Amino acid sequence: MLSNVRNALRIPVAGVARLFQTSVPRTSEKFDHKRIPQEDEGVQGEKVVDLDSVLKTKQNLFPTLDSDNQIFGGILYKQLPICNIRVSHNNTIFTMTDASGSVKIIRSCGMEGFKNTKKGTNIAAQTTAIAIATKAIDRGFKTIRVRVQGLGPGRLAAVKGLQMGGLDIVSITDNTHVSWNPPRPRKARRL
Amino acid sequence: MFLTLRLLSNRHPSFIARTVFVKNNNVDDACRLVNRILGKEGILEQYRLTRYYEKPFQTRRRVNHERCKAIYNEDMERKIQFVLRKNRHEPFPGCS
Repeated sequence: MLSNVRNALRIPVAGVARLFQTSVPRTSEKFDHKRIPQEDEGVQGEKVVDLDSVLKTKQNLFPTLDSDNQIFGGILYKQLPICNIRVSHNNTIFTMTDASGSVKIIRSCGMEGFKNTKKGTNIAAQTTAIAIATKAIDRGFKTIRVRVQGLGPGRLAAVKGLQMGGLDIVSITDNTHVSWNPPRPRKARRL
Repeated sequence: MFLTLRLLSNRHPSFIARTVFVKNNNVDDACRLVNRILGKEGILEQYRLTRYYEKPFQTRRRVNHERCKAIYNEDMERKIQFVLRKNRHEPFPGCS
């Protein structure tokens, strides 16, 4: 008898409760963020458009005919030692050369004790850069020009690390080998 | 004349092209400027494209996709300009 009354009450209550949904909607149609490829900047600063304003405001940013004979830290620009940085996906290699190009110091992330995939990180590049910078200062290089080659995670960190190591960087040059009619490259990776 | 001589002696004279001087020890800015120039000139794009061989069908697909994107972007830009148009003498008063 009592249970009958209770059931009679429960049905209309359930009917009312069905009118509005209290639980969180099922996540079956959840938006899958993984499918959309992330906006990739590639190299830092590459996709920033605002180039003209920089060129207008700042002067003497680019080398001219007589920049070879400018003096930086008591040395002519063309006689400054060069730090070549070879950046790749898997490693970063630094070589300090004098102005004629003979190698004085060479360090790489692998030589610094980073192994396997850790070689190709920006942290490895930075610590290696600091290490080579201290060595270079011991050898008497203080003011240098930097030449970067290749793309990779250590590209910015390497140059930054040289400065953190105490070297004076006069200029940054990109020397990445790019060809518009290259020989046939290796076949594409299959993922 | 000096530059001509240098170009004659060396096809790729270093420290002339793709070079930026560092101002006020601001390495970050100089790096970013180099990257920006490389990106704008399409050098980085070419570098990435030539890492691996691109089969002809992939080239066709890519080029077609780029064309479609350019057409869409142009039309969309025009549409946005149309929606945002202002019919006043001074388009944004007090903002000049």
